[in-house]
Amino acid sequence: MNRPRLAIAGLTACSGCQLTLLNCEEDLAEVAARFELVSFPMAESVEGGEPFAAAIVEGAVSTPHDLANLFRLRNSSRLLVALGTCAIFGGVAAMNNVVSVREELVAAVYGKGEKKGESFAPAPLENFVSVDFSITGCPPEKHEVIALLSALLSGTLPPLATYPVCTECRSRENLCLLLERKELCLGPVIRGGCHARCPATGIVCEGCRGPVREANVAQELELLLERGFGRDEVERRLRRFRPEWNYGQRR
Amino acid sequence: MGSVVELNLTRVEGHGSVKVYREGSRVERVELCLTDSPRLFEALLVGKSYLEVPEIVCRICSLCSTVHKVAALLAVENAFGVEVSEATALTRALIMQGGMIQDHALHLYCLLLPDLLGVPGLTGLAQKAPELLKTGLAVKRVGNMIQETVGGRLIHPVNIRLGGLGLQVGKKELLRLRQELLSVIPACREAYRLFRTPFPFPELPSPNALALEPCENGQVTSARCRMGGGNSFAVAAYREAVEESVLPYSNAKYSKVMGKEATVGSLARLCLGVSLSTQAQAIFDEVKHEILDKDIRGNSLAQAIELCDAAERALELIDRLLDQAPGALGNVTPVPCQGSGSAACEAPRGLLIHSYGFDADGICTYADVVTPTALNQGAMARDLLALARGMEGEDTEKMTMALERMIRCYDPCISCSVHVLKA
Repeated sequence: MNRPRLAIAGLTACSGCQLTLLNCEEDLAEVAARFELVSFPMAESVEGGEPFAAAIVEGAVSTPHDLANLFRLRNSSRLLVALGTCAIFGGVAAMNNVVSVREELVAAVYGKGEKKGESFAPAPLENFVSVDFSITGCPPEKHEVIALLSALLSGTLPPLATYPVCTECRSRENLCLLLERKELCLGPVIRGGCHARCPATGIVCEGCRGPVREANVAQELELLLERGFGRDEVERRLRRFRPEWNYGQRR
Repeated sequence: MGSVVELNLTRVEGHGSVKVYREGSRVERVELCLTDSPRLFEALLVGKSYLEVPEIVCRICSLCSTVHKVAALLAVENAFGVEVSEATALTRALIMQGGMIQDHALHLYCLLLPDLLGVPGLTGLAQKAPELLKTGLAVKRVGNMIQETVGGRLIHPVNIRLGGLGLQVGKKELLRLRQELLSVIPACREAYRLFRTPFPFPELPSPNALALEPCENGQVTSARCRMGGGNSFAVAAYREAVEESVLPYSNAKYSKVMGKEATVGSLARLCLGVSLSTQAQAIFDEVKHEILDKDIRGNSLAQAIELCDAAERALELIDRLLDQAPGALGNVTPVPCQGSGSAACEAPRGLLIHSYGFDADGICTYADVVTPTALNQGAMARDLLALARGMEGEDTEKMTMALERMIRCYDPCISCSVHVLKA
């Protein structure tokens, strides 16, 4: 059998998306048998060389080295998959992109004059190359990663959730943290697929999966302002995983 | 003529490389470049609410997200004078043991074992030693199950929160975890046999061990850190003990602790004397002479002993939690006030310190995180140089392979190391 050649790479990130694959303990042997893991520096010390059937890339782009690596992966892969919130939206490292100057952040950590110009504001893969498929999440759900790999074996891509966290939260019959407990829950505008993990343990949706398609951000903002949250607080929370939101008529 | 040999580190979390500068066969110097892009967490946290700090900062590292979260919760609680209930403290201790199990199992069986068996990685392992890999993954899975059941999510847990828990872990779940743990206890007790033979390197400098002082019953933090030679310092005053400087070629800061290049992690903990579970103590007594006063190559064996310790402790903690009265969650709501707080925990790969300052509204005014890999960086560089010099004249490939293996003994987590606030 011709095994698809995979590259699994990390750019600027916490390695959690790659770890999610390594956390699929029961499927790992199968994955190793069905794919050729030709480039996977986190788990393999040899490089099997290009080309790749697919490159699965975690992390944001924030250094010239990240960028060179991304171009290499794009140029040598049939499919490029953005794995996780950092790769799709920039993620936590990008949260201050629209409110702070990168040089000042770097100077605050390393001191003025040190480490100047070696990195830039973290940006999603799509800002630089075309992306064929995305799996969101900080980190992504294991079942979504396995669904992707299974689909790749049959030469296709998997269907993923296109509805908000609220849909899953409601079907689990959880208490609504936003309406009934008046907490700052982002569930209505965030893409589901996580089975409402956080609200199901009584904790507000922090928005780690990014916006659902057709998110009504203006309405969510309206709801939260009515409940007494400050605009700054709400925007800060929305920015945690994705710096830029379109607030529509509430701008 | 001078030459530079560069090797990229693999089978570690994050990105890094080692450069060996040679003059003929003589090794002039060695640079350890931890080149993950800085994510600048400390700067990003300034201006965020105290409620957000633990949620954001646990994203420093996926493998240690549990311990980062716990350390951040403890530091914020320390700043506001919050004391959590016994159920919360025990639950945090349990999730920390889950983290220890999964991390040590991943490192030992998936990242380090290939070196011992002479294969390049996971795929080779699956072919050459499928049963061993299966055993390792089964142990890791139980560590993950603990973290997921207790934390609500495996990476970046959500159920552990400021002042308490989202949901109490149910009796049924605890009994299931107990069952799963029992199924891997034999493997955890036997693991040390695999990691007893250290790599045949020239001898390396002996480490200056640094670890948290042993925690009191059921606690995951302690007020003081201990160093070899009878030295110690208060966590609250860590800034006076830990000196950091910026290196031109590495994004992680170079630390000296009380003037020395410290070594943190399993080896350091065992050298400084921690109380171990019954079986782990028995193993330690048997192999003590192979660990104490030895160099970093002993760290793998120390990790294997801790793997057994963590599994047995997790069982004890589950039993204690099962004894707790139902509904004894006892969450406390922190009231923000101006102040600062610090906390230190033992991450699987070593001492971790979080420290924050807040204004009267609970908005973060400064943040500082000292990670194990940043602490270890000095010792790693020192050992790299010693090893490279000890192998002068050897085949280049042989030398670089040895250097990479030695670095892996430290179990470095590079993505966690690269964001240390300027003191």
